[in-house]
Amino acid sequence: MRVIVRTVSELCITVGALIVLFVAYVLFWTGVNADSERDHQTELLKRQWAKGGTEQAPVPYRNGRPFALMYVPRLGFTWNMPVLEGTGTNTLKKGLGHYTVTARLGQEGNFAVAGHRRTYGDPFKDFPELRRGDAVVLTDGTTWFTYRIDKGPYKTVPTDIEVIDPVPRASGYTRPGRYLTLTTCDPEWGHSHRLIVWAELRSTQPVDTGKPEALRR
Amino acid sequence: MYGWIWRRLPGNVWIRALISVVLVLAVVYVLFQYVFPWAEPLLPFNDVTVDDQ
Repeated sequence: MRVIVRTVSELCITVGALIVLFVAYVLFWTGVNADSERDHQTELLKRQWAKGGTEQAPVPYRNGRPFALMYVPRLGFTWNMPVLEGTGTNTLKKGLGHYTVTARLGQEGNFAVAGHRRTYGDPFKDFPELRRGDAVVLTDGTTWFTYRIDKGPYKTVPTDIEVIDPVPRASGYTRPGRYLTLTTCDPEWGHSHRLIVWAELRSTQPVDTGKPEALRR
Repeated sequence: MYGWIWRRLPGNVWIRALISVVLVLAVVYVLFQYVFPWAEPLLPFNDVTVDDQ
């Protein structure tokens, strides 16, 4: 009898300890991992750009590889994230993910990007703070692309794939253009809905002319 | 369970305690390195994309 009681209580303690450890992993450790992974991806990009010079015909995006850096001043003046090709689970652990089926950065169509709201460094934690007129700035190493948010955050269901169409449904855009869509989950820790913002390309400039207006202070 | 392990460890109290700590650390390492990364995507925090699945 005593042996049974002891074993059961030991099992309970073990399960409790496991849960605590798992929570610590999700809340804390994924962030630590993501930070170093992100720095690594950013480093890769910068090295690639330093090597590439300014020539280059557009290189095809390779799955799981970074190709751009995103800056969103509203999410923090120092907020910047590498954008990787693809939206697989492992890709999103390293940075933001570009929907493979959508347009290339700065091109006609819809450049759609997904990111974590929570865990893995919480890149889109403050997503609901985004407002009309906020800048979303990207660079591919040769050009700065400044997008301005026109609509959002818009709440929808996960199956609503029309939000990343070339002319996204519910965005208010009616004609083809150079759009950007950001998606993340909602509620913060849940998965029942998605939050969307849409932006349109307003200006581009070569990187050697310095940072765009929106990033200067 | 833990008593059973403790009794099977060699050496005096201090050596047993040391081995226990090492064992605990090994378990935590395996959990963080292999088990949790496998379990975490089964939870909903990863669902940030729109798709038709």
